[in-house]
Amino acid sequence: MKEEALRVIESVLSQGRTAMVEYEAKQVLKAYGLPVPNEKLAKTLDEALKYAEEIGYPVALKLMSPQILHKSDAKVVLLNIKTPEELKEKWEEIHENARRYRPDAEILGVLVAPMLKPGREIIIGVTEDPQFGHALMFGLGGIFVEVLKDVTFRIIPITERDARKMITEIKSYPILAGARGEEPADIEAIVQLLLKVSQLVDELRDYIKEMDLNPVFVYNEGEGAVVVDARIILKKPEEKKQEISSEYRERCA
Amino acid sequence: MTDRIVEEMKPFFDPRAVAIIGATDKKGKVGNVIFENFKTNKERGIFKGNIYPVNPKLDEIEGYRVYKTVKELPDDTDLAVISIPAKFVPATMKDIAEKGIKAVIIITGGFGELGEEGKKLEREIYEVAKVNGIRVIGPNCVGVYVPDTGVDTVFLPEDKMDRPKSGPIAFVSQSGAFAAAMLDWAAMAEIGIGKMVSYGNKIDVDDADLMDYFLHDDEINVLTFYIEGVKDGRKFIESAKRITRVKPVIALKSGRTEYGAKAASSHTGSLAGQDTIYDAVFKQTGIIRAEDFEHMFDLAKAFAELKYKLPKGDRIGIITDGGGAGVMASDAVAKFGLRMAELSEETREFLKGRFPPHAVVGNPTDVVGDTDAERYRIALEGFVNDPNVDAIVVIVLFQVPLLEEEKVIDILAEYQRKSDKPIIAVAMGGRKTGRYARMLEEKGVPVYPTPERGVRAMAGLVRYAEYLRRKD
Repeated sequence: MKEEALRVIESVLSQGRTAMVEYEAKQVLKAYGLPVPNEKLAKTLDEALKYAEEIGYPVALKLMSPQILHKSDAKVVLLNIKTPEELKEKWEEIHENARRYRPDAEILGVLVAPMLKPGREIIIGVTEDPQFGHALMFGLGGIFVEVLKDVTFRIIPITERDARKMITEIKSYPILAGARGEEPADIEAIVQLLLKVSQLVDELRDYIKEMDLNPVFVYNEGEGAVVVDARIILKKPEEKKQEISSEYRERCA
Repeated sequence: MTDRIVEEMKPFFDPRAVAIIGATDKKGKVGNVIFENFKTNKERGIFKGNIYPVNPKLDEIEGYRVYKTVKELPDDTDLAVISIPAKFVPATMKDIAEKGIKAVIIITGGFGELGEEGKKLEREIYEVAKVNGIRVIGPNCVGVYVPDTGVDTVFLPEDKMDRPKSGPIAFVSQSGAFAAAMLDWAAMAEIGIGKMVSYGNKIDVDDADLMDYFLHDDEINVLTFYIEGVKDGRKFIESAKRITRVKPVIALKSGRTEYGAKAASSHTGSLAGQDTIYDAVFKQTGIIRAEDFEHMFDLAKAFAELKYKLPKGDRIGIITDGGGAGVMASDAVAKFGLRMAELSEETREFLKGRFPPHAVVGNPTDVVGDTDAERYRIALEGFVNDPNVDAIVVIVLFQVPLLEEEKVIDILAEYQRKSDKPIIAVAMGGRKTGRYARMLEEKGVPVYPTPERGVRAMAGLVRYAEYLRRKD
C-alpha cells in the first residue's frame, strides 16, 4: 500500500510539484483501497476513444494540468459524452478551454471516466495543524459544507468509534440516516472511508499536507461509495521531516 | 517516567526550603509580596520549610537573613522563585544549576511575549535547565499556590486578593491574571483548590507535565485548565488520554481566531479553525470542554463531590417545590441531551400514598409550595429506589414558609451519603438562600443557582461516566 502510494508521491515531487492532480491523488487513494471510479488517463485522442469504449458510453472527460486545480472554473470537466463523434468534438473543446484559461498550462492528459450514478454527497478532508498534527474532517457536501459549515474534525489516527461519532454528530446526519422516507445511506462505507484515509495519512504524514475528497458519492445501504474528485497537497520536501519538538522527546526519553 | 515526574515536581508544591531571588523590603514589590506570603504562612504554621531571601543589596528583611548570592544559599534549598529583571535571569540560572537546585519558578515577565530578544533569553534559560535537569515554571507567571503546604508565589497581596481554601480541585492557567482573578473568586464561592499552577510562557513545565503529575497526586481528583495554546500537541494528547481514564479534566480554551482560513490552500484547511481542532482534541482525549469559567467551576464542583458516584445512565429525576423551576429543569434536561426518567409504577404508588392530593407525582415531582422537609424525604426515598432513575436534581426554593431549612439540608445530605445515585441541588434566591446553599455544599451536595446550570453540571457527570464505560 504505502510503497505504491509513495511511488506516485515521489514522482510528483521529482517534477518539482506539491499539488497532485486528481488522477495522481486518486492513485494514492486507490493504493490504500479507497473506492475510486474506473478511470483512465488518455494522452491522445486515440487512447481516449479506446478507453471510452472499454468503460462504456456515456463518459466524462477531465483535463489534468498542474496549473489548473479548479477544473470547473476552467471548464475542463465535460460530462455525459455519448458517442465517439461527440468525444472527438469534446476532446478539442476541452483543450481549447484549458488554453484559454491558462495558455501556459502543462497538460498531463485527459481522464476518461464513467458517468457515475449520483449519490448523497459527502466531503472528507485532511489538514495539518501546527500543534496537533493532521486532522480529519467529515461533512455533507454542497450547501452543508459551503454555507452551513456543518463539519466535524478529529486528530489522526482515529478509531472506529471516532469515525462513527463523526458521522452521527454532524447536524445534517438525518440526511444520511434517511429523512422523509429516504433509504439510509451506506454508513459502513463512510466508516471505512474515514478509517482508510486516517491510516493513509498516518503512514504518509511526512508527505501529506492537505487533502480534499470532494465530493464523495455515498449510495444506499450496502451499495458503497465512490470518490468522485480528489486533491492532495504534498509537503515541500524540505518541510517533510519537520519533527514536533524533538527537545521534549530527548528529555522524556 | 511516572516516578520521575512526581519526584521532579514535588519541590514546587512542598519544598524543604525556598530561595526567593529578588526578595525585597519595599512594600508592594513582587519580591516583597512573595516573601511576605511565605513568611505569613510560616507564622501561621502552614509553610513548614525554610525561607531564604536572596538580594545582593540587603542583609536582612524582617528578621530573616538575606543571602547575597545563590552560591551562599544553604544546601537544603530545593526551590528557587525568581523575581529579578529578565536580563539577569540566565546568569542566575547558571548559579542555580551549580547549586544543584532542581525546581525554579520564574515570575518575571519581559521574555518571549515581548519578541525575539526575550525569546533568546528564554532559550538560554531552557538550555541551562535542560542540561542540568532543572524543571522550570514560567517565566511571566504567578507560579504556584498550595493552601495545604503554604506555597504561595502569587504576587498579589492578601489584602487585595483572597486565597481559596484547600480542596480536591487542581487549577492550571496559562494566564496569571486569570489565575489570580479565579483564585479570588473561588475563595468567595468557597470552592476548594488543592493546587494552582500558572505557567505563563511555559518554556518547560506545561499542561502535559502537570497532567502526568496530577495523575499520581492523591490530593487532587479533578483538574481544571485554562488554556490559550498548546505547544506540543502529541504530548498533550498522550498525557490527556492517560489521565482522563482516571480523573476528570475540564478545559476552558480561549482564542477563537481562525488562522486556518489564511494559510490554507485546500477546502478542508479553510474550514479548520483553531477552535474546531481543539474541539476534536478534547473529544478524542476525553477532556470536558467548558464554555466559560462559570461552567468550568460548576463542573469542577460537581466532580469534586461526585466523582466516586457517577450516574449509571442519563435518566434524570427532578424533585421541586416550584412548578416553574421544574419546567426550567426539564427544558435543560432536553437541551443538554439527557432524558427525563419515567418513574416506575411502584414509585408513583409510594409517593401518592404519602403525599397530600395537591402534590404532583411524576417527573418532575412537585412537592408544592406548602411543603415541609418531610415531603422531600419521601420524594428522595422514592427516587433513589426507582431503577428508572439514574441521577437526581433537587430544586429547593428555601423561601417557602413551612420548609424547615436545616432539616431539608440534612435530608439531602443523608441521601447523598446513603444512595449510590448522584444528587445535585438547585437553590434560586438571594442572600438567605446563599447561606443555606453553602451549608448544603459543606455537607456534600453541590448547589447551583439556576436549574439550567445545575442540569448542565449533571450532564457533565453523565458524559464523563459514559466516557469511562467506553472500551477504546
